[in-house]
Amino acid sequence: MLNKPEIQQNRITIPSDPALIREVDEFVESRLRERHLADTLIADIAICATEIVNNGINHGNKRDLNKTVTLELKLDPEQVVIVVTDQGISFDPQRVEDPVAPRNLLREVGRGIFIVKHLMDTVEIDRAEGGGTVVTLTKKIA
Amino acid sequence: MKLNSREQNGVIVLEPKGKIMGGPDATILKEAIRDHVNQNAKNVVIDLKEVDWMNSTGLGIMISCLKTVREAGGEMKLSNVTDKIKSLLTITKLITVFDAYNSTDEAVASIGKQ
Repeated sequence: MLNKPEIQQNRITIPSDPALIREVDEFVESRLRERHLADTLIADIAICATEIVNNGINHGNKRDLNKTVTLELKLDPEQVVIVVTDQGISFDPQRVEDPVAPRNLLREVGRGIFIVKHLMDTVEIDRAEGGGTVVTLTKKIA
Repeated sequence: MKLNSREQNGVIVLEPKGKIMGGPDATILKEAIRDHVNQNAKNVVIDLKEVDWMNSTGLGIMISCLKTVREAGGEMKLSNVTDKIKSLLTITKLITVFDAYNSTDEAVASIGKQ
């Protein structure tokens, strides 16, 4: 069982503990700052990275500490690619209710993917090998 | 996220600092609101000037706080909302749910006037 975040170059793997989301943000922001990106762009990417990792921890892995969430960052000259993989139940985006429908406005959850689709250029959600979900985000930076 | 709490003209002003993204943030803010409401301090302004950004978990925390205050018969306002958070409130249409003011003084003055 992984007890703490494990960082290898541009990849961070954490156990499914919601308290570790801050470590993911620090990892992503530090890598993006090395590229001297604009603060607002860094914020958008960090928001989306934490959204997807939170989903993996809470909805995919159901906070099972024996399961991990991995985030990999690919920094191309023209775009940032983030790949988040969990080990839980596959995620079906079609089952998420419209968060801006009047009946859902006061719901406390259910906005993550909606926000990510607004802030990122592309969002792909696939089934991971051996179960779980892989979410791939891209954001143009040039 | 860190949280400072003070009183201004009988209104509780909560001043979170940092980013609101989940984990312990939810407990800190929700418990602060619940504690104040339990002490009959039902009117709250959340001053967001020191909050760089929040994600959907942070927005959910804001909604939870709003519900707690409303159920107690009080009012909750936001002040000094940064451009980044304002754009998230607009995207999610939560701009129609929260009363947001440019300054904490305005937010405090607005309490009880609707």
